[in-house]
Amino acid sequence: MRTHPSYLRVLLTFARNSLVRDMTFRGNFLIETLSSMSWVIMNLGFYVLVFQHTPRLGAVTDWGEYAFSWGKYEFFLFLSTTLVINSLVQTLFMENASEFSELIRTGKLDFALLKPIDTQFLISLQRVQWASLGNLAVGVGLAAYSLVRLGWVPTAAQVGLYLLFVACGVAIMYSLMIALAATSIWLGRNQSLYDFWFYITNFSRYPMEIYHGPLGTPLRLFFTFIIPVMVVVNVPARFLIRPLVPQTVSDLTLPAFAILATLVSLTASRYLFQRSLLSYRSASS
Amino acid sequence: MAVVEIESLTKSYRVYHKAEGLAASLAGLFHRRYRDVHAVRGINLTVEAGELVAFLGPNGAGKTTTLKLLSGVINPTSGTARVLGHVPWRRENAYRRRFALVMGQKNQLWWDLPAAESFRLHQQIYRIDRDQYERTRDELTSLLSVRQLLSQPVRELSLGERMKMELIAALLHSPEVLFLDEPTIGLDVVAQYNIQQFLKHYQQQRGITTLLTSHYMKDVAALCRRVVIIAQGQIIFDGSLDEIIGRFGGRKVVTLLFSNGHIPGDLRAYGEVLSAEPPRVKMLVARNAVTATLSRLLEHHPLEDVSVEDPPLEEVIADVFSKAEDIGRRSGAEAAGRLVGG
Repeated sequence: MRTHPSYLRVLLTFARNSLVRDMTFRGNFLIETLSSMSWVIMNLGFYVLVFQHTPRLGAVTDWGEYAFSWGKYEFFLFLSTTLVINSLVQTLFMENASEFSELIRTGKLDFALLKPIDTQFLISLQRVQWASLGNLAVGVGLAAYSLVRLGWVPTAAQVGLYLLFVACGVAIMYSLMIALAATSIWLGRNQSLYDFWFYITNFSRYPMEIYHGPLGTPLRLFFTFIIPVMVVVNVPARFLIRPLVPQTVSDLTLPAFAILATLVSLTASRYLFQRSLLSYRSASS
Repeated sequence: MAVVEIESLTKSYRVYHKAEGLAASLAGLFHRRYRDVHAVRGINLTVEAGELVAFLGPNGAGKTTTLKLLSGVINPTSGTARVLGHVPWRRENAYRRRFALVMGQKNQLWWDLPAAESFRLHQQIYRIDRDQYERTRDELTSLLSVRQLLSQPVRELSLGERMKMELIAALLHSPEVLFLDEPTIGLDVVAQYNIQQFLKHYQQQRGITTLLTSHYMKDVAALCRRVVIIAQGQIIFDGSLDEIIGRFGGRKVVTLLFSNGHIPGDLRAYGEVLSAEPPRVKMLVARNAVTATLSRLLEHHPLEDVSVEDPPLEEVIADVFSKAEDIGRRSGAEAAGRLVGG
């Protein structure tokens, strides 16, 4: 008898079941999609306003080798990368991570622990939030529009690397989220999970170049090397915007660091997840 | 062959001792008092293949905790257990494919989807061959007569129907060991009866080893020959239902029908009077004194009819539970298990 399930098939069934559920409540689905898309579009308006005041962001840096500044459409490419990564994280993991805290509180995690399948896989992916995919469409649309305005056509290699590092970014964001969710085993309840995740990942939403000076540099170092959220969007966005030929040392070291950060984040969050299961008390009968 | 082997299994929890009131809650922010709750205290138990064993005990006795330990959902404080040769809390896939846990108080089916969708997910997770899956599903749905409900969202099913679906979900992968934690809780008499009959039939047909906890004596009487009574986290009895009555039901219920319609005033001398509605009297008489008491009664009073019965099982068990609690209290373990479910 085969002892391992086909993870891909299980994932497809999760996605299918979630879609069936979402379609049952189509009004809710529509409102969810529209409200998150309009939030994104309002944000976009905010950045259009910012660029009415300045032509470029991050032109002056105190750490010369990264020196790069972002024009309006370059920044919009950055923004679209943020949208793509966040919408993927929200579609795949957000609902599951907040559900995890609830499963612990109500003792329903029991059922996940009974199944002959990797518990972290099951917990992380069992619900797919299709409504969040709307933002992915906005992100892709915005990227295409910005590329046209800039008159750039990315090469296949650029797109390939972009996708690879988007995947790394998603993995880092997921690790952070599941690690935060795992703490609810010890806290019994962790309802501020989403808030906390939002506060931290907020630092991934802007180009690294803006973090300089006595306040910016410590922030940048902390959110690069301790909690590596700053490489999440910055690294893939660069592959789309700048030519592939490395121009500075950091063009090589930063992507290498992003790969390392992804591996370390995934490993560390898995360790934390496994540890947290040892403390599970299975509330109620 | 022993399927379940438990040796000195112990589970203790540290719980935050919260005093009543706001002031105490504020104080609890800074200084917390904890105490240990011993949910399971050194249990030893062996269950052979194909046995159907009932766990009885008051709330908080450690029944559910024991099932959770055997399912590998929680880790023990000390002691060992093996089910089908596996240590449950290692949660190996090889073990998880071979048993199932059904909990009457928790549901695992997708609330907004038809049960059929959840079943398909189980097929994928347990990797059941399509033919076998369809055969098992059809067999179970017709045995429990819920076939026509398969495509209805679970939230629209009645409690009884939902419980049947939960059972099917748990049995799709043909487990060799089945843990049932109060599978009939909250169900009406008919639904209870149906589930009992199904379990009886299924268990006999498949010969799967089953451990059941229930508060309904009818479940136990209908299903199990072997009964384990747990109280204060310890096993205080392990044997047949009849033995419980023999051992703990120290008195018999004697019903007397007086032929002259009058109830004599000196009945207290013969035993404890339960009810007296002329011409009928019910009384409790010590088991070993029944014959002597009856012959004395017949000698002194005109009796038309006499019957002697065992007291109802519920009463005997309730008596056992309260005795066990007394013993527990005297041994200074009043906290044992009180706060932990099941």
